[in-house]
Amino acid sequence: MQKPPHFHNKWQAITNFLNSDARHYQLLFLSTFFLTGILSLHWNLFPYQILITFSTALTTQYLMVKLLKLPISALKSSAISSFSLCLLFRSDTWWVIIIAAFLSIASKGIFKINGKHFFNPVNFGICSTILLTHQGWISPGQWGSAGYWWFLIGTLGFIVITSAHRIETAIAFIATYGVLFGYRILVFQQWPTDFFFHQFTNGALLLFTFFMITDPASTPSHKKARIAWAMSVGALAFYLQAYLWVTAAPIWALFFLSPLTPLIDYFFKGERFIWGKKANVNTATI
Amino acid sequence: MKNYRKIIASLFVMAFTLVTYPAMSFCGFYVSQQSKPIFNKTSQVILVRDGDRTVITMSSDFKGDVKDFAMVVPVPVVLQKSDIKVVNRQIFDDFDAYSAPRLVEYYDPSPCNSMREEVMENVKAAMSLTKDEESVDQLKKNTKYKVTVEAKYTVGEYDILILSAKESGGLKHWLTDNGYKIPEGAEEVLQPYIQSNMKFFVVKVNIEEQKANGVEILRPLQIAFNSPKFMLPIRLGMANGKGAQDLIVYTLTKKGRVETTNYRTVKMPTDREIPEFVQQYFGKFYVALYKKNLAKEGSANVFMEYGWDISGQMPVKCDPCAGNPPMLNGLFEAGANWITPTNWGGYMGSLYFTRLHVTYNREDFPQDLVFQETPDRSNFQCRYIINHPAQQYGECSEWNNYRDNKKASRRKEIKELSALTGWSTERYWEYPAKFMGYSAPLPPDEETGYVTPEKGKTTILDSTEIDQNTTGSILEKIGNSQINQTAFINTRTPEHKKPFDWGLGIGMIAIVTLASLAKMQKKG
Repeated sequence: MQKPPHFHNKWQAITNFLNSDARHYQLLFLSTFFLTGILSLHWNLFPYQILITFSTALTTQYLMVKLLKLPISALKSSAISSFSLCLLFRSDTWWVIIIAAFLSIASKGIFKINGKHFFNPVNFGICSTILLTHQGWISPGQWGSAGYWWFLIGTLGFIVITSAHRIETAIAFIATYGVLFGYRILVFQQWPTDFFFHQFTNGALLLFTFFMITDPASTPSHKKARIAWAMSVGALAFYLQAYLWVTAAPIWALFFLSPLTPLIDYFFKGERFIWGKKANVNTATI
Repeated sequence: MKNYRKIIASLFVMAFTLVTYPAMSFCGFYVSQQSKPIFNKTSQVILVRDGDRTVITMSSDFKGDVKDFAMVVPVPVVLQKSDIKVVNRQIFDDFDAYSAPRLVEYYDPSPCNSMREEVMENVKAAMSLTKDEESVDQLKKNTKYKVTVEAKYTVGEYDILILSAKESGGLKHWLTDNGYKIPEGAEEVLQPYIQSNMKFFVVKVNIEEQKANGVEILRPLQIAFNSPKFMLPIRLGMANGKGAQDLIVYTLTKKGRVETTNYRTVKMPTDREIPEFVQQYFGKFYVALYKKNLAKEGSANVFMEYGWDISGQMPVKCDPCAGNPPMLNGLFEAGANWITPTNWGGYMGSLYFTRLHVTYNREDFPQDLVFQETPDRSNFQCRYIINHPAQQYGECSEWNNYRDNKKASRRKEIKELSALTGWSTERYWEYPAKFMGYSAPLPPDEETGYVTPEKGKTTILDSTEIDQNTTGSILEKIGNSQINQTAFINTRTPEHKKPFDWGLGIGMIAIVTLASLAKMQKKG
């Protein structure tokens, strides 16, 4: 059947737009996750959280673009960061949300060595705000287990579509974390298997694994070094959660190990990642 | 109802039972010394958390001869005698009454002659403290079973042992050889706790002490310990359990609201305007609402029913109050020892009260409940509102207008009722137009366990507690006089599995399809 021309043109415009930058797909998927979280899982967000987060993040980014003469497309990254903050960070106070959004974006300009920032912006924003204000929190339970499989399908769909080439970082992390927990829960403590699966059917863990730790801009550039680094994040996350009972342990583990990135980059040289560069168009991160 | 309360009160804490009739419950399991069935389906727990210090007070519906009572609870550390107390059952009743879902009423002012009525009554809550009792400390090791008796105490009417074990088989044999009957399947559940380095808190009733103290009912038992683990061990109580159990958790924390980190914590629907006839069976309404909500939100959730900042300096500790706010004595007894008394009988200190309600089974709850304290101090209550229509005093031009608006809003109330409970709107077709003398049909579900409240016990509001901002007056509440907790066990039925989350599923599939098509466009 012949499609009407105006429909075809519009569809063409949409696909051209989506295909011009992997970050467009990312925005599409993160906004879907967010909408389903709000509509289906009834997340209790601070009423103006979306508005405050986006306006703060975009304003901060815009100022940085002007001051540091960055490409204007950096605003896309801050929109992605805003969605991630809305997905992961919770606070019932407006100024805490401003601080989190500001620190997320500003960290890209502050913690920079040789022109490369070493904290994942959202990770830094969340952790530093919680440490500084004691007014924010992460709700790993908010994802429930009923909707998990849909989030998994969405995530895997995203990975396949964008053929994300830093997927080895995600696999190194989740394999280490999974094997350590698998050994502890199933072999050592001898819980039934559904105990183990419940531990891993968590949306926050999924988001962390496939969208946060895969961040090409802030993780080590050298591939093997990056895999070793991701494994150490997995091991630290396991330790924090299993022995110190830390909530949302992977996020904290990444926060503590991010400062190692410049050190690793110093010893192991690798190709730097730059947004928008042809070879990097398909990269996924938040 | 009062008798029922006494029966519940006469029973006790967590868990389980007999070879033939396994009865499940919250933290541990009952290990009866007789082969008579013991049922334990509902329990209430007060959790107080301050840094790494946790105080757990446990109460449940143990039914049977007290001499058969015995239970086992996993605890993270070896408890000292001073860490174990018996407390007055009253604190549970007070916390329950205070935080229960409530029905509030408003009277429309007459469009002709504005007047407003409010009905208020007082109810007094009595508090009393209990004493700690003498016991003998003793340490002995039994190499045969690889079970170590870490400590032995008598506290109140209870004989308590703290055991640590090397392997579940030994622990099982030790318990069996010492006259406790262990349910089948418990061995597998004991092992993970042993491997997690948990100790076992074993309790039975000391009949002499019980008689000597003149204690007719078993009092709630309280344990305190320091551990980073902020959790409730529900798994042991579900050893080979098939049925559902109901648990209400009250938490007292310094910082803010408590939520579960390994299950979704969902706030109950609140602030809904419902038809005035609901006051005839509010308990039944709430159980139906709970059931519908469970089906809608999914089967592996924890529900939040109440959350309020009750810090010493807060002038409004509930609004409106379904029961007196917790008093200094009750809070102290529950273990909130960081608050300090003031000269005028109040207290100083930061305090947040959370009420969580969970109806769980083995299938949907493979893990113990793990909690976190968030800095969220916003107030939340389960509040349902009825608006009584104005009476027509004489003729006035505004009346017709008022009547039409009221009819429309009463139609909305019926729709809201139907959305909340699943009861058909057609049953109440007469309601919107019939302002007076409407007789509502009884709710369709006859198995909700509703108990008719005693007359004169339904309206609870202490006039001294009323703040200027008080909104409406409490007409009824679910709290202790309205409904028994066992009614909630039936809210979990097989069809409440949530196999397909439509909103989430359609959204996700649509987006993956769209994105794939877009991507293919590029390749093509």
